[in-house]
Amino acid sequence: MLNNDHESFAAAQACAAAAVSCESVVLPSGLTVLCRTMPGYSSVHAIYATGFGSIHRAFTLDGKQITLPAGTAHFLEHKMCETPKGDSFTFYAKTGASANAFTSYDRTCYLFSATQKIDENLDILLGMVGKPWFTKATIAKEQGIIGQEIKMYDDSPDWRLLNALFRCLYADHPLRDDIAGTVDSIAELTPQLLYSCTKAFYAPSNMVLSVAGRITLDQAVDACKRNGLYRARAPHEVEWDVPAQTGPLPHKEAFFTMPVTKPCFGVAYREEPLAEGDLKRELLLDMLGDLVVGGLTKLYRRLYDEALVNPEFSGDFIAVRGACAVAFTGESDTPRQVVELLQEEIERMRREGVDPEVFMLVKNQMYGELLGDVEAVDDAAEEAAAACLKGRTLADEIAALAELTVEDANALMRTALREENRAYVQIDPSEK
Amino acid sequence: MERKQLAPGVCITTLDASKFNRCRITLHLRFPARRESATDAAVLALVLERGYAACPDMTALSRRLAELYGADLGVDLASAGTDRVLSADICGIKDAYALAGENLTDAYADIVFGTIFDPYLVDGAFDPEAVRIETETQARRLEAEFNSKRLYCVRQARRKFYGDAPAGIELGGYPGELVNVTPQSLKAEYDRILSTASIDVMVQGVDEARVAEMLLKKLDGIRRDPHPFAAPVAMPATPLRHFKEEIPGLTQAKLCMLFTTGEEHPNPPSVSILRVAMSVLGGSATSRLFRNVREKQSLCYYCGSAAQRATGVMMIDSGVEPGKEQQAEAAILAELEGLKNGPITQEEVDDCRRGLLSSMDALGDSLAALENWYYGQITRGEPLYPPEYGKVLTSAVTLDEVRQTLQSYSYSVCYAVTAEPGTQGKGGSEDVE
Repeated sequence: MLNNDHESFAAAQACAAAAVSCESVVLPSGLTVLCRTMPGYSSVHAIYATGFGSIHRAFTLDGKQITLPAGTAHFLEHKMCETPKGDSFTFYAKTGASANAFTSYDRTCYLFSATQKIDENLDILLGMVGKPWFTKATIAKEQGIIGQEIKMYDDSPDWRLLNALFRCLYADHPLRDDIAGTVDSIAELTPQLLYSCTKAFYAPSNMVLSVAGRITLDQAVDACKRNGLYRARAPHEVEWDVPAQTGPLPHKEAFFTMPVTKPCFGVAYREEPLAEGDLKRELLLDMLGDLVVGGLTKLYRRLYDEALVNPEFSGDFIAVRGACAVAFTGESDTPRQVVELLQEEIERMRREGVDPEVFMLVKNQMYGELLGDVEAVDDAAEEAAAACLKGRTLADEIAALAELTVEDANALMRTALREENRAYVQIDPSEK
Repeated sequence: MERKQLAPGVCITTLDASKFNRCRITLHLRFPARRESATDAAVLALVLERGYAACPDMTALSRRLAELYGADLGVDLASAGTDRVLSADICGIKDAYALAGENLTDAYADIVFGTIFDPYLVDGAFDPEAVRIETETQARRLEAEFNSKRLYCVRQARRKFYGDAPAGIELGGYPGELVNVTPQSLKAEYDRILSTASIDVMVQGVDEARVAEMLLKKLDGIRRDPHPFAAPVAMPATPLRHFKEEIPGLTQAKLCMLFTTGEEHPNPPSVSILRVAMSVLGGSATSRLFRNVREKQSLCYYCGSAAQRATGVMMIDSGVEPGKEQQAEAAILAELEGLKNGPITQEEVDDCRRGLLSSMDALGDSLAALENWYYGQITRGEPLYPPEYGKVLTSAVTLDEVRQTLQSYSYSVCYAVTAEPGTQGKGGSEDVE
């Protein structure tokens, strides 16, 4: 068991830290390069990521104020794959690599998996992201494809529910807008706006190259040198922040309809944003969903056995600059009853404390997940990059996890999941 | 890799897992699907996953798995042509990473074998309470199909395509028949599966000898009559049928097009040829559908193709603007026609092939992918070969084979889920001001 009073704990922790280790170097340009060399593996996964996501909506670039429409980071991700010589997918097709990209609330990631021609693939990846190219014509074409993507997510009750919850919790924070924006918002984009973003957030000092598999750190650094990412360069002056939102929630409840078979519902709690580097609180918040209503709890068992929720009913959390929320979402014929039971359980845990056994088991699960996460080349590279963008390593996460105690969880429960910070959203079936 | 027959219809396959942090044991039981017990089979998988004789309580089992550092146990029912495969797998960290020196691998084997071979029974049948709960769970799952419109459209198209044919037996069972599921009917289905199934155990990073011994011990006393795998079958070619279902509030229309090789092609192409053909048509970012229908014409966000060798079916599904279904369908058919009768360049086939070869190179980097690779061969009745030989076969596929394969399909069913103009959803941005 992952227990910090175990005799051989230090040795075991060292073993675990070794299992998730990776090399790293910060180049003179400011670019961080991470490498997890995995002996015996055939493939390489590379991820080139920037700490720029959908919540980056206003910033100053060299003293000039820039305001972005919703969906800019995601749009930029699509456009980055295009170069004057053609689509990057065409180049990857010549090497056999499988490539992709994704955008979240606070980062954008470009990636490939390959078993051959690794240097060529790194050149495609770094060259594509390092040399942005936008025209009015290519922007117009992309608006059609992204419009279809937005509409696809508009038909997803889970996605709509989550977005509605964020809109209830936040009046001003950009978390309330869909990552992809809207058809109208992306229509406002111009080449100039996109270039402003790349100047501000695609500078090497704001990025990380993370590679894993059959590759060495030297190989990755050499690729950076070939692509002009090694030498120091004068960065642009960028200021960006999103203040935390205080005061009452803009909406306590919201209801709307969709073509679904039974009500979908969600409750979300607005929490204090994480202080920078507060890994302990982040891990505890991550555990909360499992502690309250995870598969190990009596509450989950009751909800499941009495068919009050769907089996996937669960809690999750999100933390970005200026915002932090814990959300529970599911489907139910009697959603209000479920919410009452959930709140009762939260209050009981506040009074009586977190079940120490469940706490220890959840810690154990998280330890196993961390080890599992670095077994595959893609997960290893992506998890290392994610940790780096948060200013830490995976070994730091294992160490912090081991230190957590049930008293820490009880302390968090005293302030978190307060009813006054709770919003409720329900999607009812529309008439067929 | 080594596969051994332990008894008639019972084999164990050992795969190297030395480089991984985790290990894995998977049990596959392949048996003939039956229309009359399809719903029992679907509920059975859920009941088995809840617990077993030595650990009948669902929460206690979850806690046991959490103790084992979050070991992952899954029980699943899948289709293999007109057969079904009931699988149970467990995956967890190796003993070397146990913080207190626990023997994890023995515990994994006990749990996964217990799940399949030692179910929790009450008076010789399944626990009535577990059956009641999981029957309700299955009802909710079947109902939830409608919430994912892409999935719903594909399933509706399949229903029209297969009708009452054996390949169309619903994997999840039938909502109207859930009331007939009882502890006794589940036990009868369970006994049928144990008796008729071909059993394959896949072992990765776990002591094979112990697993083999355990397996034989579990089978001791079970009357076995393993059935051969069902042969590939295809639906007959029929005149094209269009179906359209309007759902007010839908934002993006979904289109599912199904094709059949017809009954006159009893010998389906090899899986290598199918893989290349699908990659060229719509299975990759360098495919015709992706490059032309999505990227050039911006007609849809997704537009992909897939084919099943065992049932002779090919599917193309896409998400399109409501009102543009016909335009999208015509564009898709034009791309297919171009490959059937127009020029195919060596370059485009090679571009797609490279991606397939690369993915085969990478198979050995994932426990699950490697296991799927070999079990896929077992289900097709092929002699086992490593991914390296899969690359040789894939490299040998010719342009003519791609063309001939695509020419063998005839268009059978088109199902569209759409919204009338004016009834479309307005999207998430207006849900909350």
